[in-house]
Amino acid sequence: MTGPLVVGLGRADRGDDAVGGAVARAVARRVEAAGLPGVLVVEHEDPTALLDLWVGRDPVVVVDAVCSGTPPGTVRRLETGARASRLQEGAWSATGRGGTHAFGLAAAVELARALHRLPARLVVVGIEAVGFEYGAPLSGPVAAAVPAAAEEVVSVLEEVSADVPR
Amino acid sequence: MSHKLTDGGHVMHVGTLARVEGEGAMHIELRDGQVTDVQLRIYEPPRFYEAFLRGRSYTEPPDITARICGICPVAYQMSACWAIEDACGVAVPEEIRLMRRLLYCGEWIESHALHVFLLHAPDFLGYDGAIEMAADHPHVVERGLRMKRAGNRLMELVGGRSIHPVNVKVGGFYRMPDLAELRAFRPVLEAALDDALETVGLVAGFDFPDLEQPYEYVSLRPPAGYPIESGSVVASSGAAFEVRDFPGHIEEFHVAHSNALHASLDGGDRGPYVVGPLARYTLNHDRLSPLAQEAAAAAGLGTTCRNPFRSIIVRAVELVEAYHEALRIIDGWSGSAAPSVKVPARAGEGFGASEAPRGVLFHRYVLDDSGLIKDAQIVPPTSQNQPSIEADLRTLVQGWTGLDDHALQHRCEHAIRNYDPCISCATHFLDLTVDRA
Repeated sequence: MTGPLVVGLGRADRGDDAVGGAVARAVARRVEAAGLPGVLVVEHEDPTALLDLWVGRDPVVVVDAVCSGTPPGTVRRLETGARASRLQEGAWSATGRGGTHAFGLAAAVELARALHRLPARLVVVGIEAVGFEYGAPLSGPVAAAVPAAAEEVVSVLEEVSADVPR
Repeated sequence: MSHKLTDGGHVMHVGTLARVEGEGAMHIELRDGQVTDVQLRIYEPPRFYEAFLRGRSYTEPPDITARICGICPVAYQMSACWAIEDACGVAVPEEIRLMRRLLYCGEWIESHALHVFLLHAPDFLGYDGAIEMAADHPHVVERGLRMKRAGNRLMELVGGRSIHPVNVKVGGFYRMPDLAELRAFRPVLEAALDDALETVGLVAGFDFPDLEQPYEYVSLRPPAGYPIESGSVVASSGAAFEVRDFPGHIEEFHVAHSNALHASLDGGDRGPYVVGPLARYTLNHDRLSPLAQEAAAAAGLGTTCRNPFRSIIVRAVELVEAYHEALRIIDGWSGSAAPSVKVPARAGEGFGASEAPRGVLFHRYVLDDSGLIKDAQIVPPTSQNQPSIEADLRTLVQGWTGLDDHALQHRCEHAIRNYDPCISCATHFLDLTVDRA
């Protein structure tokens, strides 16, 4: 398969970690409504699976909860594909030195870069999280940021779509 | 972090242990060059699974307890199913046991491939982590990912998905995989088996610190085959008992420095005990397939292995066994078995155990006559291994007192990773503090 891939990363039962999936579902509805061609939208819990999920796909957008010290619900967009520079350790989620639980997005991206398995264009859309408690729902600021994060993802897809014939 | 104390002692505290599953810390105290205290501090909060299982239906523990761990959910599902079926007086047919064993092979493959390649190998090859190792040894990391992927796909094939499988129920499965699906998967397993055999050769060439564990080893031992999904309990002391007797032999107790209960065997008179790959291998070498035995012998392992650093070789041998066993089950599968048997509720107490990748996992449930859970007990492997991890560190740190804190932390974390501890399961994980004299 080729074409764009959107991955909502995170666990549904860990508070704001569920935001990746929530944004992915919102994006899926937008993709269907707008009739954007060839876009695959998936939810996933395991960042190590990204290396297989994005094979042949370009561009790839990964949506995940982040802890970067910005106000809760802040949406950030980062270009980090094969054509971009390395992620700063600690800039996003934990980098894999914290164990398998913390084998996070940044670790998956940098492992893929070391193995020359990064998509040419990889966009990370991060939503600043508040908490990751077991069983907790999305916090207010993070839930409120879902539409804006989905809009950020769709804007990447529309840039691609504008380049290809419908 | 390390600091001197006003009494002349020296404390080292590692605030978060790296490349282990979950969150824990380590505290070491040295006085006059002697190790006076080692504490594995599991601070991941308690999760109270045993408490919130009470009042739930007897059909729910396979799905609820699977959520204890994203690395070994099948272990929780299998131990829970055995225990509830035991309470209800139901024995499942051989085909269901075999399909459980096949699913369990998938989990061993996922877990062991992750630990061997991404978590433990960097210690031996001198890297901070898998990302740094991947830059110099891309083919090794690629092989690890390939081997893990085969496990993920096996889990998907039998369990419905690779994390927290959805196809397991009390009494069996919701759906049996098609014979054609299983046979079509053979080439992936065959290729991964070749990768596993090469892996045994690779890790056998690592340098291993000297350490011979004097502890008692405990594992399951089934009537035939290597212990994976079931068996009764055996120990290196010669002790042997049925799974239903584990509460009489294994006592859980709380220590102030850990949110995970510790455990002792038969009152603790014989010291700490160890569960996991070394115990399984040492107590069941004769049960490995000839292919796995041959690989172990070529790697320089005897019929027993008591050096925890060599656990990486044993895990590689168990990977050979898991792929080989998965192929054997698929080749013998007729495709005609019913996916499950009925398990009517009844009042009673049931006991179940299986070999999680990191060691024996016990479950016990008490049901009322409508099948509601009155009491639940879960004894995970990492809890049982905490005293032996601390004992290993006490011995090892005594020989490492000349190292600076950074080197000491690295060595200690390596020694802890020998156990592939699953702290999420046990909290019911690691920072390092050293207190030096």
